Amino acid sequence: MADTGADQLDDTIVSEPLDLVRLSLNERVFVKLKGDREIRGRLHAYDSHCNLVLSDVEETVYIMDDEEVDLKTIKKQSEMLFVRGDAVVLISPPTQS
Amino acid sequence: MSNGTAESPFSPSAEKSEILSNNPSAFLSQITGAKVAVKLNSGVEYRGDLQCVDGYMNIALEQTEEYVDGVLKNQYGDVFIRGNNVLYISSI
Repeated sequence: MADTGADQLDDTIVSEPLDLVRLSLNERVFVKLKGDREIRGRLHAYDSHCNLVLSDVEETVYIMDDEEVDLKTIKKQSEMLFVRGDAVVLISPPTQS
Repeated sequence: MSNGTAESPFSPSAEKSEILSNNPSAFLSQITGAKVAVKLNSGVEYRGDLQCVDGYMNIALEQTEEYVDGVLKNQYGDVFIRGNNVLYISSI
């Protein structure tokens, strides 16, 4: 019995890191972006560049003062958002804080 | 010579499990499953169990802790890190 054959058909097997993102499709995700920004939204699409399409998005922008204390945070809401992949740092299922 | 067991600086110590790799790709496939420290270009460090790596150095980690300036800031269950941000992957 070739179990490796079944592995190829099993959608839950994580063989490469982008598979982890695939498991989060249609789920809410937390994305860290360059420029001290974070977004939380429902992941609709992604590709190997990490271009993302999200809906019901909340973006948090951290304004830093000399990188010591964050002066303030700006929150923005979007119904639908396309994120260019080169801005992405990390993607994770959200830690509900 | 009082020390009977001379250790070459390049041979792994007996206490640590040996990681023998001829090239970086072999190292990456060997350490999957192990606890690693991933440092990003921005200086932020992530420690967790390495699930997998690909040729772009994209990383999947489990049970991850985020350290900023050496201070634990966040914890995540599963994390995907885009490879272009990665400075190094170190086994710990």
